[in-house]
Amino acid sequence: MEATFIKRRSRELAVAGVIILFLLPLLGISGKTYLTLTIAGLAMGMLLFLVASGVSIIFGLMDVLNFAHGALFAWGAYVGFTVFNMMMKWVTAESVFKNFAVFLFAIIIAMITVAVLGIVLERVIIRRVYGNHLFQILITFGATIVLVELIRVFWGPNDEVMTVPFSFRGNWDVLDVIVDRYRVICITMGFALYAAIQLILKKTKLGIIVRAGVENREMIQAMGHNIFRLFTGVFAVGAALAALGGMAMSVFSLQVYPDMGGTYLLFAFIVVIIGGLGSVTGSLVGAIIVGLSYNYVAYLVPWAAAGANVMIMIIILLVRPAGLFPAGE
Amino acid sequence: MAELTAVQLFHQEEKRRRFRRGGFFIGLGVLCILLLVPFVLPSYKTVDLAVKIIIFATLVASFDIMLGYTGILSFGHGMFFGIGAYCVAFLVSKYGAPTYLNLMLGMAIAAAVASGLAILISFLSLRVKTIFFAMVTLAIAELAIILATKLSVFTGGEDGISLAMPGIFSFAYSTGKFLGMEITGKIVTYYLILLSCLGMFMMMLRFTHSPLGRVLQAIRDNEQRAEALGFKTFVFQGISITFSCVMAAITGGFYAMWVGYVNPESCLGVFAIMLAVLLMCIIGGMGTLYGGIVGAAFYLITETFLPDLQHLAKDLFPSAVFLHNVLERWYLFLGVLFILVIIFFPKGVIGSVREFIDRRK
Repeated sequence: MEATFIKRRSRELAVAGVIILFLLPLLGISGKTYLTLTIAGLAMGMLLFLVASGVSIIFGLMDVLNFAHGALFAWGAYVGFTVFNMMMKWVTAESVFKNFAVFLFAIIIAMITVAVLGIVLERVIIRRVYGNHLFQILITFGATIVLVELIRVFWGPNDEVMTVPFSFRGNWDVLDVIVDRYRVICITMGFALYAAIQLILKKTKLGIIVRAGVENREMIQAMGHNIFRLFTGVFAVGAALAALGGMAMSVFSLQVYPDMGGTYLLFAFIVVIIGGLGSVTGSLVGAIIVGLSYNYVAYLVPWAAAGANVMIMIIILLVRPAGLFPAGE
Repeated sequence: MAELTAVQLFHQEEKRRRFRRGGFFIGLGVLCILLLVPFVLPSYKTVDLAVKIIIFATLVASFDIMLGYTGILSFGHGMFFGIGAYCVAFLVSKYGAPTYLNLMLGMAIAAAVASGLAILISFLSLRVKTIFFAMVTLAIAELAIILATKLSVFTGGEDGISLAMPGIFSFAYSTGKFLGMEITGKIVTYYLILLSCLGMFMMMLRFTHSPLGRVLQAIRDNEQRAEALGFKTFVFQGISITFSCVMAAITGGFYAMWVGYVNPESCLGVFAIMLAVLLMCIIGGMGTLYGGIVGAAFYLITETFLPDLQHLAKDLFPSAVFLHNVLERWYLFLGVLFILVIIFFPKGVIGSVREFIDRRK
């Protein structure tokens, strides 16, 4: 009887285990530092969510595992970097309005550019290999090589320093807890986007078609919807989300470099494996888990930070091989 | 045993034709060239190139067992290669002495560690979907690089480990002249690597042509059907992955022997090793084993003579800055070539040539 109880309640048990795991660092860290780290972890988790949700939705609907997502992420960061450099006066101006305007403008330009890039990628390359997982991974990996090398051709191979808009710098002091301003912006942005994605998926007709497509693609075609146009659209949206994540992450980590996509793609993969491929909520939960654990472990045992995520991934794979929120359920 | 089954007849036919096929003689020719390299072109650059082609051809062949024969993509093959290199380096240099026993022990430990890790990873990731294997190996390979860099007390960190070879493999060793050539430790190592890799290549050929190899191809082509026929696909995939990873680890050991130096960048690097192996495998042709030789030769020869090509371009067109920039970014071309090969020649060089010959018959 015990075994069946564990099986039936495995998700609840997993969530409870995760929550206990995240309260554990309190033993080693003082409360205030813990709160600061939690906010940093949430911010990082939100940025990872932006990348991972793209990977997850694209896989859920199109059955394509997109290895080029990291390169699109880096492209977003570099386009944002260029916009910031062109409008440096607004970035460094001591005006909240100007800072936000240039930040939004950079995000929009980056999203549009990368969405176009994504459409080209989907139409020219990925469309040829639908239905063959092995070739999809190979061909999107090839696209990554080309896109990263193009970054090196256009922007040079070196690391560049990203300027943080003036009013995003500095901290707030809330009851003696140090709160970084930009992190709060990231968290707000992440939750807003999660809400927007869920609203679109649950309340609009397009969202219903996409969700139906995740369940059964042939049926969508039989109902008279052009599935290929839908694929291109979803791929473009996924690419735009990656660009937004890249742009926000470059301000977060204060730098851009050509290989940045690879690092965050890895995080995104860990997130979707933890959360379950094809599920947006799973991506959110997975991203928060990864972001929090990375920050706690980096504070306590700096060299083990990357290992902790892989360990969590391995444990989740052992307990729930399909992730916390598998797409079918 | 009067009646032979169709498979047995096929085997007999194949055995009879074995020594009459063109491919056999081409292979023999390549082997002869590689045997003669230290005598005909004794410069360090060419011998080094030849060794790297041999090692990478074997590594790509082992990768091909997974990718081409089993249909599983791994991004951790470079990691297994690095594990082999590090195991040999630990035993011969850092935690041991340069003796023959330690060298052999290092290879054995490399094989043991690689097989254990391979079984663990396949158990973790193959349960859900085959593509999980690609993601999980990517994550674990990245973790291996970070561990090798950060745990510098054990692994020497970024600086890596230099190793000295025992007895007749050490660089200082010399045993007089033969055919006007001084037989140094390097030459002895060259032949050791050539013969060992030849043996490993033969083993892999045998593996893929065995009944087990045929089951693997059946799983690659249609996993559900193979399962319905009663094969435990999970077990077969695990065997293939383990065999392939052990081969990769031993190749890594030989690489460490030749280079005399291991560090995270050159032995474990996702880009230095993994990308190269993937490109070689795809360009040479996956599912052929021999494709590795073509791919490795193409990639490494281009890489070695690229600086010369750049100098040539600079001398010929001193003002064409764009051309110089493009030549500096040769991975761009490799990436485009990679995509084009996947779209138009998914069987690679060897596969396409075979198809062409078959069609002409």
